[in-house]
Amino acid sequence: MSEHLIGTISNQVDSIIKHAEKKYPEQMWMFDVQKASWDAVYHAHDEGKRLIYVGACAPVELIYAFDCVPFVLDMIPTRLASTPDVAAKYIDLAEQYIAPTMCGIDKVDIGAILSGDMPDKPDAFIYSTVPCDNSRTAYPFIAERLGCPSYCMDAPFSKSERGYRYMAEQYKEIITFLEKLTGTKLDWDKFREIMIISNKTNELMNKIADLRKIIPCPLPGRLLVLNEMIPGMTGHPAMLAYLEAQYELGQKLASEGVGAVKKENYRVSWLQNMLWSNVGILDWMERQFGAILVMDAFGYQRGHLFTDLDDLDTVCIDLAKKGLALPMIHGAAGPVEDYIDLVENTMADYKANVSMFIGHVGCKHTWAAAKIITDLIQEKFGIPTLYLDVDATDGRYKKTDEIKAIITEYMETIAGYKESAAN
Amino acid sequence: MNETLIDGSELKNSAVEAWKADGGKVVGTICCHVPEEIIHAAGMLPYRLRATGVTETSEGDAWMSPFTCSYARGCLQYLIDGTFAFIDGLVASDGCLMAGRIYDNWKYVDINKDKEEIFFQQIAAPRTFTPKSIEYYREHLETLRQGLEVWGGVKITEEKLRASVQLYNETRRLIRELYELSKSDTPVLSGEERLRIILAASSTPKEKFNEQLRAFLATAGSRKPVAAGRARIMLVGSALDDPEYIRIIEEKGGLVVTDALCFGTRYLWEPVEPEEGDALTAIAKSYLGRPVCPRMVDLHNEFRDFMIGMAKDYRVDGIIYSRVKYCEVWGGEGLYFNEQLQEENIPQILLEREEIMTSSGQLAVRAEAFIEMIEKQVGGKIHE
Repeated sequence: MSEHLIGTISNQVDSIIKHAEKKYPEQMWMFDVQKASWDAVYHAHDEGKRLIYVGACAPVELIYAFDCVPFVLDMIPTRLASTPDVAAKYIDLAEQYIAPTMCGIDKVDIGAILSGDMPDKPDAFIYSTVPCDNSRTAYPFIAERLGCPSYCMDAPFSKSERGYRYMAEQYKEIITFLEKLTGTKLDWDKFREIMIISNKTNELMNKIADLRKIIPCPLPGRLLVLNEMIPGMTGHPAMLAYLEAQYELGQKLASEGVGAVKKENYRVSWLQNMLWSNVGILDWMERQFGAILVMDAFGYQRGHLFTDLDDLDTVCIDLAKKGLALPMIHGAAGPVEDYIDLVENTMADYKANVSMFIGHVGCKHTWAAAKIITDLIQEKFGIPTLYLDVDATDGRYKKTDEIKAIITEYMETIAGYKESAAN
Repeated sequence: MNETLIDGSELKNSAVEAWKADGGKVVGTICCHVPEEIIHAAGMLPYRLRATGVTETSEGDAWMSPFTCSYARGCLQYLIDGTFAFIDGLVASDGCLMAGRIYDNWKYVDINKDKEEIFFQQIAAPRTFTPKSIEYYREHLETLRQGLEVWGGVKITEEKLRASVQLYNETRRLIRELYELSKSDTPVLSGEERLRIILAASSTPKEKFNEQLRAFLATAGSRKPVAAGRARIMLVGSALDDPEYIRIIEEKGGLVVTDALCFGTRYLWEPVEPEEGDALTAIAKSYLGRPVCPRMVDLHNEFRDFMIGMAKDYRVDGIIYSRVKYCEVWGGEGLYFNEQLQEENIPQILLEREEIMTSSGQLAVRAEAFIEMIEKQVGGKIHE
């Protein structure tokens, strides 16, 4: 019998690790966290644990507290994006049922479910009405198709105190949902332990984000991609270990005044999603132009901490604040002012001098706000933004050479601009 | 057809002009999750924005990019180019993300310096139908009420709200009666005409509209039946506000007898039950609970059931699923109803479209092919 999709990915990660152990022994912390993530999902049922698929805003700390394994379903498309032929299989299948213009992330999710390549059904699916109209179509369908117990949270439109309370009430319902699912009451002592790990994780994440503000930036753009795993594993010791290693490295390099690139010429900010289908572009920009991605809108995370580890009401409010601060819910799922604040903070805090809207075509609501934010960048920071349409999960949309040519043209223009400004 | 009703379907119609001439305020709405009753109770004219007849969207494209719903770009175009210069306020819900961006972009477009005078408000419309979401939605409706009171210098009392609910429920009743005309084997109303009437409903004061529609219905029985269609068609899909689109289908022999469109049966249909608590609670329950659009995450199946129920009630021979390119809300809805339509043996065709009617030739060809396919399937017996 052929391996199912998660098994295949897990095995791929194992192969990568074997290779890395020989070639990059000092960087194993980057691979260990990936192994921990995929192994946990792959072996959940073998280890007698319940596997819970999750969408945005799902309370992973609570899921861990119930001794279940959370799995962010969107990890599949972002992982498969680097192997275009595999991603294409699921995208093409999904397009037989849904509009080809829909988001590639949801197309891969739907295609994977329809293909029958996913393993036995999970024990539950917890999702929400964010981040976008695509997921609002995809997730309920997936829930129905999986046929397992599911809970859908309605995320508030605005990040107001009332909105947080609205979410908090639903987190309480999720506790009841998980208690019914597992047949156990929430073990608060265990939950507290996980909240402590979660807080440490978020503190580290915030410190690492602060390191990226330093000139030169001590950490490469690629780590922003890996850091996207954080929300799905907050509260897991392996994530904490990964961030500790990253922070240690960043701090060491920063104290020595060493940057991730030899000569940091440009500090780049990406304003939309990550280009999972072509992450190598980040390495190429660093080599080619000394241009380092200091922060991207998707990767921008200011993790909210649990402020009280004993009071249920406060914990649920904190879960709401954490959930609504996740990418891209933090910027793109509500009023445009959220997106403006996100971009403005990114540009200012990280001292970016290059602005790129590397726009995933599936993310239409960010495209629909692109002029507002790029006008703002021009006005406040005097930086013209590069617009580049890409498909973040479907590498067939635009080839690497084409992407490089467009970025090169822009970088040359920017370089000219800086020289003339200097004159 | 009644000339006044036709006039009401125009973007700038005589009823709006008269309203403005009397010093009345017009409040534009985006998406059908903005309850018009609240605006009406403030003594203002709710006017649902649309892009009917738009022929170019260069401004909309510049602000929203070409990777977005052309209906939304068309609405923004009309806001920017002054077509909607008569509106005094703009209220949006977060019906879908594109609808939200019409509102966002209009706030930031810098060409209309008088915008400080414009009332802007956006309300949340939850995407699940639960006691908690109703309560949350109701609070946002309360915020809208308060916002309108301050801006308009009026008091929106419970009594006024209930009167508005009653008036709108009468509109709903009349619209259902209008649709009843199409159940006949020989309807006296075409789908194109019916859409014009619904557009009038969304663009004119309901007091006048109800009066006109009542008068129309009183004499409708004496109308000559419209040309017999070769197939009875139901339209479902993204916001469709262009009668021209239906005209092309009907010219090819499809008689559009019903729909599941937000400028159709999904606009004003299910009554607000005034006994459901206070007026705002009743409005919240009604607006959130009706299967109006696939935006509701937990009502996909209810929406499908509504569609199929309507298809049966109106004895449709086929469904045209008309999806605006880049409309994500409708982009995957087939996942929820394709299988059921096959089981019910209801033929369906998916047509992608853009708000600007540049591909009318293709629409005509595909509509005709679909109708021919239906005729072959049913042996042409239905409309003999």
